[in-house]
Amino acid sequence: MAGMKTAFGDYIDSSWELRVFVGEEATENESVTLRVTGESHIGGVLLKIVEEIKRKQDWSDHAIWWEQKRQWLLQTHWTLDKYGILADARLFFGPQHRPIILRLPNRRALRLRASFSQPLFQAVAAICRLLSIRHPEELSLLRTPEKKEKKKKEKEPEEGVYDLSKVTLAGGVAPVLFRGMPAHFSDSKQTEACYHMLSRPQPPPDPLLLQRLPRPGSLLDKTQLHSRWLDSSRCLMQQGIKAGDMLWLRFKYYSFFDLDPKTDPVRLTQLYEQARWDLLLEEIDCTEEEMMVFAALQYHINKQSQSGHMGEAAGTDPGLDDLEAALNNLEVKLEGSAPTDVLDSLTTIPELKDHLRIFRPRKLTLKGYRQHWVVFKETTLSYYKSQDEAPGDPIQQLNLKGCEVVPDVNVSGQKFCIKLLVPSPEGMSEIYLRCQDEQQYAHWMAGCRLASKGRTMADRSYPSEVQAILAFLSLQRAGGGSGGSGNHTQGLDATEALNPYGLVAPRFQRKFKAKQLTPRILEAHQNVAQLSLSEAQLRFIQAWQSLPDFGLSYFVVRFKGSRKDEILGIANNRLIRIDLAVGDVVKTWRFSNMRQWNVNWDIRQVAIEFDEHINVAFGCVSASCRTVHEYIGGYIFLSTRERARGEELDEDLFLQLTGGHEAF
Amino acid sequence: MGESNDDIDQMFSNLLGEMDLLTQSLGVETLPPPETRTTRTEFNYTVGFKDLNESLNALEDQDLDALMADLVADISEAEQRTIQAQKASAQNPPHLAPREASHFSGAAFLGSEADAPAARISYCEDAFPPPPADPVLDLPLPPPPPEPLSQEEEEAQAKADKIKLALEKLKEAKVKKLVVKVHMNDNSTKSLMVDERQLVRDVLDNLFEKTHCDCNVDWCLYEIYPELQIERIFEDHENVVEVLSDWTRDTENKILFLEKGEKYGVFKNPQNFYLDNRGKKDSKETNEKMNAKNKESLLEESFCGTSVIVPEIEGALYLKEDGKKSWKRRYFLLRASGIYYVPKGKTKTSRDLACFIQFENVNIYYGLQCKVKYKAPTDCCFVLKHPQIQKESQYIKYLCCDDARTLSQWVTGIRIAKYGKTLYDNYQRAVAKAGLASRWTNLGTVSPAIPAQPPAGRKPSPAQPNGQVPQAAHSVSAVLSGAQKQAEMTKVRPKRGSHVAYPTVPEESKLKHSGQRDTGGK
Repeated sequence: MAGMKTAFGDYIDSSWELRVFVGEEATENESVTLRVTGESHIGGVLLKIVEEIKRKQDWSDHAIWWEQKRQWLLQTHWTLDKYGILADARLFFGPQHRPIILRLPNRRALRLRASFSQPLFQAVAAICRLLSIRHPEELSLLRTPEKKEKKKKEKEPEEGVYDLSKVTLAGGVAPVLFRGMPAHFSDSKQTEACYHMLSRPQPPPDPLLLQRLPRPGSLLDKTQLHSRWLDSSRCLMQQGIKAGDMLWLRFKYYSFFDLDPKTDPVRLTQLYEQARWDLLLEEIDCTEEEMMVFAALQYHINKQSQSGHMGEAAGTDPGLDDLEAALNNLEVKLEGSAPTDVLDSLTTIPELKDHLRIFRPRKLTLKGYRQHWVVFKETTLSYYKSQDEAPGDPIQQLNLKGCEVVPDVNVSGQKFCIKLLVPSPEGMSEIYLRCQDEQQYAHWMAGCRLASKGRTMADRSYPSEVQAILAFLSLQRAGGGSGGSGNHTQGLDATEALNPYGLVAPRFQRKFKAKQLTPRILEAHQNVAQLSLSEAQLRFIQAWQSLPDFGLSYFVVRFKGSRKDEILGIANNRLIRIDLAVGDVVKTWRFSNMRQWNVNWDIRQVAIEFDEHINVAFGCVSASCRTVHEYIGGYIFLSTRERARGEELDEDLFLQLTGGHEAF
Repeated sequence: MGESNDDIDQMFSNLLGEMDLLTQSLGVETLPPPETRTTRTEFNYTVGFKDLNESLNALEDQDLDALMADLVADISEAEQRTIQAQKASAQNPPHLAPREASHFSGAAFLGSEADAPAARISYCEDAFPPPPADPVLDLPLPPPPPEPLSQEEEEAQAKADKIKLALEKLKEAKVKKLVVKVHMNDNSTKSLMVDERQLVRDVLDNLFEKTHCDCNVDWCLYEIYPELQIERIFEDHENVVEVLSDWTRDTENKILFLEKGEKYGVFKNPQNFYLDNRGKKDSKETNEKMNAKNKESLLEESFCGTSVIVPEIEGALYLKEDGKKSWKRRYFLLRASGIYYVPKGKTKTSRDLACFIQFENVNIYYGLQCKVKYKAPTDCCFVLKHPQIQKESQYIKYLCCDDARTLSQWVTGIRIAKYGKTLYDNYQRAVAKAGLASRWTNLGTVSPAIPAQPPAGRKPSPAQPNGQVPQAAHSVSAVLSGAQKQAEMTKVRPKRGSHVAYPTVPEESKLKHSGQRDTGGK
């Protein structure tokens, strides 16, 4: 035992004094001094420290951090000599898990305790387990961008920080579902609210905020983000992160394995949120038509998530789900068979008959709208000169199957037109139907939409379609600001009102007036209106993945032998070289042709060898070459995943593929 | 209650009458439309039925014989099924029985014995005693069980079920059938009966049986519009009757049965579409060399992810101006959401692109001899039009490529954007079918084996109640489970090798990249 003394108090062994500060780094208020020798084990030292402190507390999470070497002393069986610790070592005895604030993909802040001693890869895995996000290998943490100093006067709205720092998970056990959420969320109201924040999409952002947030103006700006990734193989402590710091949690690798709406509500939602913000902040570009689809999906998702609260919470058990559906079905059937004219109600297809004004644009005619008697039956529209002639031959008959239906509506101007582009063997014929009021419009419009898909008004979705159209009309009235006082508006939540500017990237705000955007978004909406919340989220993610620039992470690099900076884009299957000035793709290399890659840490150069002796080397300018290296290795790691292997992660392989020389 | 029961009885007897009528008419070699014509007012629908009559009248004798043989086969098959069903009903929970039964009557509504349908219907009623409670409710109910249905509810339920049953029968009886004349390679034709539930895949399988061809994946149904000089490959998942009902009465359009490498070219050589560096010389060489393993991984990557990857295709094409014979050169790009072009003075970044067309309402065709007909710059043209348009129209879009390779890339790219994963599923089904066929040939017992098999995918599977589009997957998987297993194997096996850099990077080099060896710099 260290500290053998003579009767006079002189030490006669080779022991020396070791001072250990208690608490986190830089809080030097308390320290203990121990008598140790080089042969003392870390475990023994820990025990002594706890004895010295003489305080009853759970110390199990505490460990020693060696400040000069920026290293945790986690191997309790190692001796001080083996670590190379001498009396001048500044050691801190502090907790391994410390609170941090995470900025989630949905831009909400969440406080939780993260491991400061494990490699980041493991720390993220633990965080994801807490948040119940599967496949943590796809995510990582970023440093918060530095705020511009000059703008610090700008009022930052106080935001609520969700708190999960008190929640701990029993290791190794898969979280059990309880009341529709992982059991550890169901402890208190706060944690429950936190789960809802995680698993449900957020409402559209304030358009003003959208305009204020920084957006990349060029490829060069898009490289900035990637300089902030933390290193996966080192712990937070080693990377200078302090307790209480804010970090961003993001999907880093754009290769989403086995995305399943049933088991992944949080993952799906956060991925949707990241995609949405990517699009809104113009991190990824899309065309106007694509933006309208994205906007329509966002509108739909928002509506679903607001209306579907209760239904979803109750229907989490799949068995119950089915049963409920069966019961509902049955109910519908029973209701349907209640009236005496059972057969009629089941066999006849409702039809619409009314006086409508019709306009057929033709060359060299100046004729305007003319009143006709119009009969809409099954998917066919027939019109007659007058009601009396109806049994006879119509002026024209149009089968609306496969036709294009375009609303042409101005609520404040009381204009309710339906434009139909009806295909026929000779080509498309254009016809406008003008309705008198909203009710009439909604019924005919809904019929046209169904007919264009080959369905009749007997379809179950007809009444809901009518309601949806009426709801839209009142939205437009509310949005148009013309002070509609109709009774339709009153039934609607203020939150449900459609502000199209919150759904599109700011450049479309500049390009279009809200009044122009709304009908286009609503038009796109009719194709997605039947999707459930998770289907719509998945559709959104799929459309995002289908964008040509999807999943590219950009870096400024200098190729060997080149005199100018260029952009390197890294995707899940390839590397692309992009001209910095023009933005054109110069060359693509696929990972499938890659033989090996090396990093020369001294000159910060990545060298890659492809099949057929193609060699590429570049130095990294905008981010450390470790980040580039980790991206490449990470994608290769992700491509080795197999469904059969399940959730098990080969962490060693990941670190081997992404780690630097410190890892060995 | 009593009244509506009478109604049901009335419906049943109507149904019977209709079937009798059908069977009689079979004797005089014409098939009247299986439903009363008076209710039909839209010309689009009647076309099909008139065609049926006309096409039957126009049939040559041997065609008709073949067709008759077919129908007889259908009948005997249906009989077999009835027997099976009776066996099955002994084992199955009773609530399944009426559904199945309704199918058999549907399948055999062309039956020659007039008593057969009657027997089946009575069987249905036997299998459906006055129900105690809804059987569907019985099984999945969790504790606590709901209150038993009251007598009234039971009756209502029974009534609703009977009505449903009757409606299903009616729907079955209403199944639209067309006689389709398919032109073969050797200028001969074959006439097939196609019902409205059949997909192109089913018809192909049918033709495989009739022609004893090699069943490889290139076989396809091919639509030709002589008037518009356009043509296209039918996708395997398309509904034949639906497509044909867009044709006009006096149409010259034809359906061919032939082999087209383009049909699944993208799955055989994905690199030509996904890795083509647009005209650069080196790309061509490397492309030819791609090995099977890499191809599989490329396909896996493009078609098996959360969303299908549409090949990046872009370049200058000539666009025929509406209604004129002049062609304008523009830079076009293919995206999953449609075809876009670069407006004058703009760049090809996403935000500047203008939408040219989206694929929802158009089909893609090859244009033939556009050089002569429309003064196109080359004969490599593709055409986008709404399936219902049959005559020349300004709504048909003509685009012209510089060469055949570009053309095939565009056409394939558009098909991928339009159909997505379905295309890949179709291919895998086709491969399974081809694999099975080749195994049969190898066994040398072809001729007895084929007729013994129930024709794949021709009948709706029992799980589907009322004659909705059957999914070929069901039927195929039933018959071809072996072959599919094989197909899955081929799908899985390359996966291991596919992950490129890691597995192919030798063990040491994995360490090498850490830079230990390299630290000295070069």
